[in-house]
Amino acid sequence: MTFLSASAAPASANPVSVVPTVAPAASAMVELRAVTKRYGQFEALHRIDLSIAKGEFVTLLGPSGSGKTTLLNLIAGMIMPSSGQIVIDGRDATGLPTNQRGLGMVFQNYALMPHMTVFENIAFPLQVRGLARSEIKRKVTDVLDLIQLGHVAGRRPRELSGGQQQRVSLARCIVYNPALILMDEPLGALDKKLREQMQLEIKRLHAELGITMLYVTHDQDEALTMSDRIVLMNGGRIEQEGPPDTLYFKPETVFSAEFIGSSNLIPGEVEAVENGTVTLRTALGRFPVPAPDRPVRAGEPAVLLVRPENMVLTDRPGPTGVTGRIEDSILLGGVVRHFLRCADGTTVIVQELNQPGRAGARRDDTVRAAWSVEHGRLLPPPPAR
Amino acid sequence: MNPLFGSSAIARRVVTAAAWVCYVFLLVPSLIVVPISFGNAGQIEFPPREFSLALYRQFFTDPAWWGSMVQSLFVAVTTTALALLLAVPAAYALARSNLPGRGLLRGLFMMPMLVPVIVLGLGLYLQFSDWGLLDTTLGVVLAHVMLTTPYIMISVMSGLQHSDVALETVASIMGASRRTIFFRVVLPQLGPSIAVGALFAFLMSLDEVVVAYFLTGTDSMTLPVKMYSSIRWELTPVLAAVSTLLTVLSLLIALGIIALQRKTEAQS
Repeated sequence: MTFLSASAAPASANPVSVVPTVAPAASAMVELRAVTKRYGQFEALHRIDLSIAKGEFVTLLGPSGSGKTTLLNLIAGMIMPSSGQIVIDGRDATGLPTNQRGLGMVFQNYALMPHMTVFENIAFPLQVRGLARSEIKRKVTDVLDLIQLGHVAGRRPRELSGGQQQRVSLARCIVYNPALILMDEPLGALDKKLREQMQLEIKRLHAELGITMLYVTHDQDEALTMSDRIVLMNGGRIEQEGPPDTLYFKPETVFSAEFIGSSNLIPGEVEAVENGTVTLRTALGRFPVPAPDRPVRAGEPAVLLVRPENMVLTDRPGPTGVTGRIEDSILLGGVVRHFLRCADGTTVIVQELNQPGRAGARRDDTVRAAWSVEHGRLLPPPPAR
Repeated sequence: MNPLFGSSAIARRVVTAAAWVCYVFLLVPSLIVVPISFGNAGQIEFPPREFSLALYRQFFTDPAWWGSMVQSLFVAVTTTALALLLAVPAAYALARSNLPGRGLLRGLFMMPMLVPVIVLGLGLYLQFSDWGLLDTTLGVVLAHVMLTTPYIMISVMSGLQHSDVALETVASIMGASRRTIFFRVVLPQLGPSIAVGALFAFLMSLDEVVVAYFLTGTDSMTLPVKMYSSIRWELTPVLAAVSTLLTVLSLLIALGIIALQRKTEAQS
């Protein structure tokens, strides 16, 4: 854990940080304009517009096959778009070969040169750039200090642990200060604890050095922890993008709600809209829901979203609540999750804080789960597939 | 139940014994020349009545013999060098690019492995007589390059399969040109595969007799050809010494190949 300590050299004394750690400039480091990628009949990406600001940490999140890796490979220049434009650092890079794009990339399997030492691995991009030997030595030493791996400079990658190898791979990017660092599920091969350490380490380096990062993952927790902005991908399109809390608290679609966090989704039909409140008729009853920003008309189908942590088990009657039998309760450390089976067979999840000495609800009890009206969110029905 | 194979221990012993019989059957004809080579200079006899190095002395003092040995070594070294220059880039290109007609090219490169050597020898003889390359060192070298290239390519392509393409991708992202990637990322990893291919090529060229017999004459005769004609015309006991020398050399090279292959396996 020592490498996470706050006692690392301040950014100003750190010669590697060429980009000052000021607020990100308004200009975009990367801009995709209507980028489409087709493989024969199959459209892997459909007219993607995406802009990444200087110094921003953007995460591409999505299930496998959603197009996030294709998007990464397009930016890296490993594949060419079928149409659209890619601009990197103000320069049209659409047809530019990979080695002239000035990018960096961290792979899940580290991709360190097995025949080079740690030092040589990090020196490689500097040698490619034709730097003087003394300058290479200085920069590599500095960046090794930054990731606190100076003591393994002479070792081969295979002699290091997975976490150490990934830090070397990160250092190899940082050392030449690329316009953008692409990361393709970089922590996928590490165990949970190490993964959490590395998430903080990457965040620290991002904050200290002001590097622009594009991070690909299918792990929602990782995306929520690390990103300035999450771009949620689904079926070759951007489903929704925004800061982590927006994606969590204000999902626009059923897909977003299900992919990030856990959710109770109750389908129904809009019965009435008045005074900013929608009345939704569902199999479990009629519920008032705050009206969404988009126009809603009576008679159209809609889905009510309530996050499990916004539900409480209560005896008091209220306008919003469902009754069910507790089928199971699972303990998740600080919280406990109850699974309620309602009369029509729907399962509702209620998450409560776990406090010692609390007389919790027990299995097979019939209870009422309620939520405040303002915690409900009305979503459009998922598209028929 | 068959009493002979009643227990697996007995069965294993029988199989082991059978294997040894086969080994001996295969090895004895090659090894019998070793004691003969240390015999008297006068005649071929087994077992030799007296022990001497006379046959070796004869080999190294007769320019017709050691001359063809030098010629063979020269041809083998030149062949290996040229075949490497051809095979390594070709293997890399075939393994990594998406060149149109890749399958056809690969087939063409592998062709000399499939065509019977005698056919190849005849074809080369006819072609080289047109080009005035008969009885020249260049002619044998060219023919041997053709014969050995596929073996180096196979070795290198299998090495490329073990090396991670992501390393080349990451080098490219870091700004490296194709040239730099080839020399600094690909080649160093292929070291053992290239060495194995090169040793194979060297060995093949060194004891290749059919094609060389077609193409060489008195000026460019390689050692195996010289041995073959010596068997036919004079049957001198020096042959035993030459055979022993060649066997030892082949054995050393084969051991080198095995050691290198172990090393590659340990790495991957």
